[in-house]
Amino acid sequence: MDDLLTKLLEAVEFGKVDKKSPYPPQLRDMDGAHELTINAIESGIKPQKILEEALIPAMARVGKKFAECKIFVPQMLMSARAMGASMFQLKPFFASGAIKTKGTFIVGTVKGDLHDIGKNLVSMMVEGGGWSIVDLGVDVGSDRFVEALKSNPGAVVGLSALLTTTMVNMGEIVSTIREYAPETKILIGGAPVTAEFCQNIGADFYAPDPQKAVEYMNKLAS
Amino acid sequence: MIRHTITLQPLGKNLKVNDQTPLIDLLHEFGVEFPCGGKGTCGKCKVRLLEGEIEVNEVHRKKMEQLGLPEEWRLACYSSCTSNITLEIEQFNHLILADETEFDFCPRQGFGVAVDLGTTTLVTQLVDLKTACIMAVETLVNPQVKFGSDLISRVQASLDGHALEMTQMIRFAIGTMIRQMLKNHSAGIQKVVLVGNTVMQLIFSDCDVSPLSAYPFHTTNLGMKSFTPSELNWNFSVSESIIFYPSIGSFVGSDILAGIVATGLHQKDEYTALIDLGTNGEIVIGNRDRIVCASTAAGPAFEGANISMGMRAVTGAISSLRLENDQIEATVIGNTSPKGICGSALIDAVAIFRRLELVGIFGEINSGDEFIYLGGKVKLTQKDINEFQLAKAAIAAGLAILANNLSIRLADISELYIAGGFGNYINIDHVVETGMIELPAEIIHKRGNTALIGAKMFLFSDHLNIYEILAKTKLVNLECDSSFQDIYVDKMLFLK
Repeated sequence: MDDLLTKLLEAVEFGKVDKKSPYPPQLRDMDGAHELTINAIESGIKPQKILEEALIPAMARVGKKFAECKIFVPQMLMSARAMGASMFQLKPFFASGAIKTKGTFIVGTVKGDLHDIGKNLVSMMVEGGGWSIVDLGVDVGSDRFVEALKSNPGAVVGLSALLTTTMVNMGEIVSTIREYAPETKILIGGAPVTAEFCQNIGADFYAPDPQKAVEYMNKLAS
Repeated sequence: MIRHTITLQPLGKNLKVNDQTPLIDLLHEFGVEFPCGGKGTCGKCKVRLLEGEIEVNEVHRKKMEQLGLPEEWRLACYSSCTSNITLEIEQFNHLILADETEFDFCPRQGFGVAVDLGTTTLVTQLVDLKTACIMAVETLVNPQVKFGSDLISRVQASLDGHALEMTQMIRFAIGTMIRQMLKNHSAGIQKVVLVGNTVMQLIFSDCDVSPLSAYPFHTTNLGMKSFTPSELNWNFSVSESIIFYPSIGSFVGSDILAGIVATGLHQKDEYTALIDLGTNGEIVIGNRDRIVCASTAAGPAFEGANISMGMRAVTGAISSLRLENDQIEATVIGNTSPKGICGSALIDAVAIFRRLELVGIFGEINSGDEFIYLGGKVKLTQKDINEFQLAKAAIAAGLAILANNLSIRLADISELYIAGGFGNYINIDHVVETGMIELPAEIIHKRGNTALIGAKMFLFSDHLNIYEILAKTKLVNLECDSSFQDIYVDKMLFLK
């Protein structure tokens, strides 16, 4: 039974979505995350256990390898797709409350900026860390972040920007969120962002890579 | 014995030499060539004196005057070292950027000046309008680079209150280049034509670039701009006009319009593509009926930015790599020891790594090492290879999305032209092997500096047909395409 979880962990870590997916070559013709998750549920493994003992550790390994430059965007997205295939099977258990997440993460690329790949990587990693995700997309202004906070009180907020010219919009968003819910934890990231900038605009945490975001959030949840 | 220190830029090399040592004895090994054998007639060994003194005797001064060298330049073949000095050694930009392609024209009277106002490099050519012969050339690094190498950094500098400074800087630089070209030619200038990307045009024209700082990145101020010499503080006369040609869209400028005219893309029956690999990589696909274009952020990696040992195609850069008996052999500009790697060799390196299976389909270094040596101390890191993947995926995804936009397949493109600074050095087979351009190598051609060629053609035309071209050209924002992310990530892989 635990053998299934080990296989699922491996399938997600190396981005094996389902049996017919050609990547990675070393897992060719083997079951992928899709089949393994169905098998695990059918053999009676608790969904919470599937999440905690296969998906979360798999994505933690992926995040660590990405932070160390051992893997790059394509592999990370393959892993995220494999995780997505597994999550799809687990969805009913999230809805019924059989699986508890650590909390909700509201994420978006800030106003004026359309870059979503970095934001998506972070959102996938945080989801793989055991959080529920509310992805607001790109070009998101402070009003939409506040709206999302109203429907998800206590959520953690993540802001992303890829341009020096749009990064400045983070400041206004942080102060608007603080007005509405001062205790909200806000983390920021993106190529031009620095720890110093984070401090200047009064955000709580600067995440230089997706894994650092997950580690910070897990500390919040513990 | 008296010793002096010579510092060579941009190599950053310090040499200790004896008093009175002739520079010709030192510099040949750093890529300075002496084609006329030290007679002071060709000017090819010129060096720029950045600090210190080099005495100039009567003969040297005369030769410098004949060659029209500004006062901070010296002929290495006539110079000796008598104090501590810093020299900028002659680079190879002229070979790379100054284009001499022939084209059809209608003879006119007088002289014209064509200006390619690049984000990184400025090129001016003085053209005899009777013969279309190039009488003089100047190249210079855009002085705005002190505010950052990419376009967004210039927009940012403008927002930070440096707009006027950048405007004055660029007008002064180009005015100086033109005056320099006129030193040996008494004829008056009829016309000056400038081309450049939209941000460069707006800054030169003292217009607001802030609309280009954030989504929707939309400016309506795209039109042609004309000037008088006095507006620009240029102290020479221009009898007819000084015109900065109109931009196509927010991030695709008149340099690409010039490229379309230079390649004749707008007159072809078959679909033709143009990729300009400058700081801002632009892509165009079109034919006589319709044209689509887009800009990508592919350029900086090819110009050395974000690559740990990256540099522009100047002395000391590895310009190409090839495999000989499974060994990587490097060609270094100026035959000096390699200092870094330029864009063309970056493509070569990745293609060769794939062939030798040093790098896997995801771009990972198979050995698990953090870097691979290329020659001398120059190496590429795992992160450099990833940067290359981002750049090549931007080009490949751009081509794919533009083709989708026209509802054609990539295979419907009959010819593809590569333009831009480092385009001349690149190995097309290697480009194809990396998957950057997913077309057969036989239909890919290098076309040099098409912006400059087009600008020269504008000197002879009365710019009527550009409005026809503009009317049928559509700008596509790649990031707004819903399939962009999937295509972009797929193109990062090495599937060959």
